[in-house]
Amino acid sequence: MRRPLVRPYPKDWFLRTGAYRLFMLRELTSVCIAGYLVFMLWWLYQLGKGDTESFRSLLSIAKHPVSIGLHTIALIAAAWHSITWFNLTPLVMPMRIGEDRVPNVVIAIAMGYGPWLVVSGFVLWATLH
Amino acid sequence: MPEPTITLDVFRYRPDEDERSTFQSYDVPYHEHWVILDALNWIKDHVDGTLSYRWSCRMGVCGSCGMMINGDPKLTCAAFLKDYFPATIRIEPLANFPVERDLVIVMDDFMSKLTSVKPWMIRDDTSPMEEELLQSPSQLAAYKQFSMCINCLLCYAACPELDSDPDFLGPAAIALAHRYNLDSRDQGTAERQDILGAEEGVWGCAFIGECTEVCPKNVDPAGAIQQAKVAVTKDWYKRMLLPWGKR
Amino acid sequence: MSHLTKTNEAFWWSLFSAGGVMAALFLPVMIFVTGFVLPFMMGEDVESQQDRMVSLVTFWPVRLALFGIIFLSSFHCAHRIRHVLMDFGLRWAGVALMICCYGAAAGGAVAAGLILVRL
Ligand code: FES
Repeated sequence: MRRPLVRPYPKDWFLRTGAYRLFMLRELTSVCIAGYLVFMLWWLYQLGKGDTESFRSLLSIAKHPVSIGLHTIALIAAAWHSITWFNLTPLVMPMRIGEDRVPNVVIAIAMGYGPWLVVSGFVLWATLH
Repeated sequence: MPEPTITLDVFRYRPDEDERSTFQSYDVPYHEHWVILDALNWIKDHVDGTLSYRWSCRMGVCGSCGMMINGDPKLTCAAFLKDYFPATIRIEPLANFPVERDLVIVMDDFMSKLTSVKPWMIRDDTSPMEEELLQSPSQLAAYKQFSMCINCLLCYAACPELDSDPDFLGPAAIALAHRYNLDSRDQGTAERQDILGAEEGVWGCAFIGECTEVCPKNVDPAGAIQQAKVAVTKDWYKRMLLPWGKR
Repeated sequence: MSHLTKTNEAFWWSLFSAGGVMAALFLPVMIFVTGFVLPFMMGEDVESQQDRMVSLVTFWPVRLALFGIIFLSSFHCAHRIRHVLMDFGLRWAGVALMICCYGAAAGGAVAAGLILVRL
């Protein structure tokens, strides 16, 4: 007689092994990034008011330890998103030259880390000059 | 000196006797060169002939001996006792599958998913061919990795998405669909696109990537699914932007 | 397979991917600028700080870039959050969940557009 037994899947699967935990950390970067995007909107709005008072309040908030803490968290989350994104790019878009697969590192650097460095440098340069 | 032994906690379920599953402990002689499958065979031969499980080749080719070892999906013919000794080893049937009996899983659902993606060569012209279809080494290299699958189903046991949506096609089936789509001799991509592009197809995957981690054949099903997402997406845009049947 | 559900997930996924690239390339340095460069690395003269920031952000290519970054990154986040929630058992919420997530992203994008145009 067939009487298949169905078992429950572990509800805490995302805590079970390193790979699952890293996956969850990667997905949750989106929450921090979303939070920062909301802040960005407020920041632009505040800047757009144009008067010195609004800008002063923007500055004083930016200097507050809470802002420094939140920015640090957001920066870590965003950097983690960048790193995981670039590392996975070669799996999503593999390239071959003839029979050989272009090594993953080469793709990650050419399509990810390289442009990242250029963009970051350019934005910093544009801000400081 | 007494021979060293190792304890296996083995999942038992006998549908005709048991209401629910239990664990049974067996003490098995410990040999450094033994794999877990050797230990199970020793139990079957010397202690308990009623223990049921699948195996055949003992060399990682047939793909029938997959089980959960301490919660991780593994081929038991490739998992050595020495990597666990002296701790107890917990052995269960593959996760995400119903249990037929003891360590034997029900594969019917996977089989229908697998056939639904038509994992075979599709040609427009089905009349007997005059000449063989030639393929260059680089055309072979394009899909070879994805053709190494032995249907061991470790990737299904590793995929939390299958718990969240049991209709999800799953890693191996999508990887095999992708394998044929990449094959220069195949002409069935359009036929497979409907199922790959459905909600139950590639979109069930959030790129957790554990399927690729556990694959004993380095097939990289996670990569295959993402590549299939790219292909399906291009196809979707083509259909939207060229609505007059030009694909 | 017994049934197939047609879906436009390809569209959302393409926004997710484009947003993922934008966020990966631009957000770390933007966070660094608003969090650390502006308050601590641009000298003490508030007037000149404001001048420089405003002239940078009102430069039209920068406005456009900011809009693209915020628009696409919002949809990136919305898609990821939606999928995490689905994995955590909200799959049944289907369309309602989509409306919440993508709706919020669209709202953010519209707000960004309005703010950037009026800057
Ligand atoms: S027995 Fe054949 S793969 Fe393990």
